[in-house]
Amino acid sequence: MKSPFSAWRSSLVFRVTSTIVALSAVLIWLLGSALFNQVSSGIFNEKLQLSILDAQSTSRNTQLQLTFSQYQDKAQLKALFAEILSVPPKTFESAARELAVFGYANTASKYKFDGTSNFLDTTSIKKEFRKKTRESNKTTWERTDLKYVDGKVEKAIIVGHHIAIKGAGKYEFYVLFSLAQQNRTMSLILKYLWLTGIALTFLIGLITFFVLRRLISPIRDAARVAGELMAGNLDLRMDIHGEDEIASLGYSFNEMAVSLQQQISRLENLSKLQQRFVSDVSHELRTPLTTIRMASQVIYSARDNFETTVGRSAELLISQIERFESLLTDLLEVSRFDAQAAILEIEEVDVITLVKETIDYLHPSEDRVINLFAPDSPVLVDVDPRRIKRILRNLISNAVDHREDKSVDIRVVETENEVSIGVRDYGVGFNYTDKKLLFERFWRADSSRARTTGGTGLGLSIALEDAKLHQGEIDVWGVRGQGAHFVLTIPKFAGGSIQSRPISAQPD
Amino acid sequence: MTLIMVVDDDQDLAEMLGIVLTGAGYEVDLVNRGDEVMPLFTAQNPDLVLLDVMLPGLNGVEVCKLIREKSMVPIVMLSAKGDKQDVVAGLEAGADDYIVKPFDPSELVARMKVRLRRSTAEVSTDLQIGNIKIDQIEHSIIRDGEVIALTRLEFDLLVALAKEPGRVFTREALLSEVWGYRPATDTRLVNVHIQRLRSKVEIDPENPTIILTVRGVGYKAGVPGSSQ
Repeated sequence: MKSPFSAWRSSLVFRVTSTIVALSAVLIWLLGSALFNQVSSGIFNEKLQLSILDAQSTSRNTQLQLTFSQYQDKAQLKALFAEILSVPPKTFESAARELAVFGYANTASKYKFDGTSNFLDTTSIKKEFRKKTRESNKTTWERTDLKYVDGKVEKAIIVGHHIAIKGAGKYEFYVLFSLAQQNRTMSLILKYLWLTGIALTFLIGLITFFVLRRLISPIRDAARVAGELMAGNLDLRMDIHGEDEIASLGYSFNEMAVSLQQQISRLENLSKLQQRFVSDVSHELRTPLTTIRMASQVIYSARDNFETTVGRSAELLISQIERFESLLTDLLEVSRFDAQAAILEIEEVDVITLVKETIDYLHPSEDRVINLFAPDSPVLVDVDPRRIKRILRNLISNAVDHREDKSVDIRVVETENEVSIGVRDYGVGFNYTDKKLLFERFWRADSSRARTTGGTGLGLSIALEDAKLHQGEIDVWGVRGQGAHFVLTIPKFAGGSIQSRPISAQPD
Repeated sequence: MTLIMVVDDDQDLAEMLGIVLTGAGYEVDLVNRGDEVMPLFTAQNPDLVLLDVMLPGLNGVEVCKLIREKSMVPIVMLSAKGDKQDVVAGLEAGADDYIVKPFDPSELVARMKVRLRRSTAEVSTDLQIGNIKIDQIEHSIIRDGEVIALTRLEFDLLVALAKEPGRVFTREALLSEVWGYRPATDTRLVNVHIQRLRSKVEIDPENPTIILTVRGVGYKAGVPGSSQ
């Protein structure tokens, strides 16, 4: 199961849908609230109007009733009030209405009367409101709570009037209207508003999701097809429906795939042609070269029977055929690299053995000019020994050629994943600015002297290609007059890569 | 006189090889087509075959297989391509050695001499490698009373290992002892032949007991009697 965070990051549909849902939820909530406020204040105002009218007529009637009533004493008055206050207790449907009467403080004590209908708690009428009512000669109203002695509470509107009774004094006369029914209506409206809001939000989310999915699916398709193309499955194309913008994306995508496929197969063909050419040239050139070489050898062996000039010519012939041969070999190798036809033949070998063999091959003589610094135990690596030896042969013979009678140091240092072989000489060196040029084909630092030291001019460039084929590299340092340092670093295991450099090219 | 059969489609090269080899004291038969080899081979029974890889009629690798079906004669492939596949195919078809064109004629002759030499130092004692007996006089090897046919090169390889039971031979050492190479460049030759030899002498070539691999170094002889 994807976490919401990663879904947010990875899925456009999820991101857009949730944004739209959140925004529309806020919008619906705002609209709903405004609507609810309008409706509820409308309902309240209407109830208020009715309540005020009702209270006015009730108080007028009560006033009239009290005025025209024949009462003699307090008991009769009380009975009269009791009758007035005996409104029927509210039933579920009817708009509940309660009454309350308070005698003024200065009312003659004989007629003083406080009372409420239906066990209404007198605290339902707040003191501040009573004061306001007493001081005002108009109708007063406010929102309040109906509190009954049994603890029941209801929202209500209270409307206050005065009643004056001749000879008895003034009374506060309150009519309380329960808002229970209005509240029920309001909560019902609220409930439906919520339901509508939630349903609307959900629907918007759902619609967005499906529309987006519909829109996104060609893009997903394109991404999948692109991935397949990248993986080399060049025949895959996008499905296209209709004529819209998405379809035109599909057409362009497929056109791109076709042109890509054509390009790739063209290049593949070129590469194959190149490889075939290399192999043909190799065969066609080598056979006559073999004959020439054998013939020259026969001539060379008989050179003592010739005149001096002819004998010397035989010598030159032999040495130039050798040079031609190594040039041909190197050229074929280079073109194999260019055609990317070079293949590694991995074996597990000891690098130190390879280095020793290379030294023996190049300098089997007793007076060694080469110092080898290497670990005592074998350094086993997965490499193509032929190529590694070719690199070593190149680096070491270069160093020996340029050492100018000084010694050459070879170091082998290994780490867990890499091995470095550093070849350091203290001879002519080179301009550090020529560092890059060293590996260029046929580049010579100083053409006038380099010719005599032989070499095809392709050695370092082949060495670098060989190193790259092993995911390795050759680092270089050099200063004119102070010598040079070439460091080959390769991963020890096939398929690995270089993480660190056990030997740095820059000398300490 | 030693008879060498030279098989190469390039007439000039074949002629030149003829000149060089005649000069070195061999008798030479020249063949230009692959499909002409077998009749002549049966008729002349040469002591060594120099075989080009690319041949009209029948290619060198196929010719090599046909010869091996009949004879253990030393075969040296002439490879114009430096391509490993051809070389390995040739070796797997039974060639003892190969030499890449263009080659130094003296090197070719030197290699041929190694292939042609009889084991001169005849030792009367029989050699033992793993559970295999090597009869140096009879030039045969016996495993559990059964004679196994080997080419001369394979025999030399086995003898080299058996003569010094404790020694670990690097591929280079084997190349110089068995093939007569100077500091060697190509050790695949050894790998291919060790595999061929194992397939003949080992009971289970996947778990060798006669020719053991020493990781990262080379090979050594199995201890007598250590077989399963």
